[in-house]
Amino acid sequence: MALTLTCPICGKRNGYEFRYGGEEKGPRPEEEGMTPESWCEYVHLNECKAGVQEEWWFHRDGCGSWFKTFRDTTTNLEQPTPAREE
Amino acid sequence: MFGKSKPMWGERKKLKSSYDVVLIGGGLHSLATAYYLAKEQGITDVAIIEKNYIGYGGAGRNTAIVRANQRTQYNVPLYKEALDLWPVLTKELDYNLMFNNCGNLNLMHSEAAMKAARMTIATAQFHGVESHLIDAKEAKELVPALNISEDITYPIHGAMFHPPGGVVRHDAVVWGLAKGAAKLGVHIHQQTEATGINTRNGKVTGVVTDKGTINCKQVLVSAGGYSASLIHGFLGIKLPISVLTIQAMVTQPLKPLLNHVVSSGAYHCYANQTLKGEIATGAHMDQWPNYTTLNTAHYIKHQAEALSEFLPALRGLRFMRIWGGLADMTPDMAPIMDGNEQIEGFFMDCGWGYFGFKSCSAVGKYMAQFMATNECPDMLRPFNLKRYQEHKLMGETAALVNYTPDN
Repeated sequence: MALTLTCPICGKRNGYEFRYGGEEKGPRPEEEGMTPESWCEYVHLNECKAGVQEEWWFHRDGCGSWFKTFRDTTTNLEQPTPAREE
Repeated sequence: MFGKSKPMWGERKKLKSSYDVVLIGGGLHSLATAYYLAKEQGITDVAIIEKNYIGYGGAGRNTAIVRANQRTQYNVPLYKEALDLWPVLTKELDYNLMFNNCGNLNLMHSEAAMKAARMTIATAQFHGVESHLIDAKEAKELVPALNISEDITYPIHGAMFHPPGGVVRHDAVVWGLAKGAAKLGVHIHQQTEATGINTRNGKVTGVVTDKGTINCKQVLVSAGGYSASLIHGFLGIKLPISVLTIQAMVTQPLKPLLNHVVSSGAYHCYANQTLKGEIATGAHMDQWPNYTTLNTAHYIKHQAEALSEFLPALRGLRFMRIWGGLADMTPDMAPIMDGNEQIEGFFMDCGWGYFGFKSCSAVGKYMAQFMATNECPDMLRPFNLKRYQEHKLMGETAALVNYTPDN
């Protein structure tokens, strides 16, 4: 299915305007105490979810902003942000 | 009449509560591993668990191209052996795999690409694989339909010609290996979904399926594009993989026109003429991970533009069928084969991207050896998961066409 994404600045746009930026993996590891394993994990390792995942996107052919969104990888459809667990 | 036919790989077997080895995924890597486990290692108490039906995934969705013109010293010998195995397997399985070694022609569109091809050819020749560099005129002699004029988006500077490659009927390989494995005692359970892997004290104890739990000491996950998601879901092991949909299509049938597999990195396109006369073509990957296996208007248009530029005789043709499959891409474009490292008895064979088909025969042989002896064969050693931590990535990104979500 064709992909559309909602840029926080430009609104809903054709997916080809964007560049995929990877799975959301939390903050970049601190340099201090960093091991090859933790750096490898941050740079390379993925969960490859067949389902809804949180991910980064870059509006390459638009306003140039980076943002996070939830998307179902089995349908290419954006999903509402899940309610935060308390 | 329908429903009564028996599959050629024999009677449907009852799912036992225990096997020596369980292979998750009913694709070519599982089928080949099962076949060689039974044939060469004497391990016949083997079950293949497949959620849909054998050959449903990448095994039935590729464009049937085989070749051994990869880039690095680790990859070339593996693919060479796979290539050499097609005629052997055709005989051994007593099943016509329709291997047509028509040769591969990889078009180069710049001096820089020609230089890169020279290095790839040197590697191939070092490993005894026939491969040579030819200029645009020689390419035109091989494929008269090629447009070698200067007046196209990416003019053809020359090509890498690899005569031993070609195409193999991919469905026949599925059926042939299934037949061969079943004959040796392997149980193939279709419509059986693996839902978990049981472990105790760091050892595999069984596989959970929707038809019950199977006890086993060894399990291999070789489920093509789904491997990474399954391995993370079952065992929490993350892999350096991105799963992308790769698209392909065939045109209406034509008279014989294309005598070789032709591919172009610059045009992001490969094409060959099937024995039925269709031009089978593809190469496009979605630029973001997804499991849809759908085609997009964007790429159908691109494919039409690319083909009609470098093979102008195809202008005005209609695409008859389109399809998509999954490619599990790694950062260094080389697969991950590993076992007993994270969990005793757990093996994985994944990250094959878009070249899992061409390697299946040789990989099955070595994975079977690995599982039977619990010792990684030298051939597979460089492909372990640790290489990403140890910064020993392979140079396969320098091979012909490179796709990642970053393209």
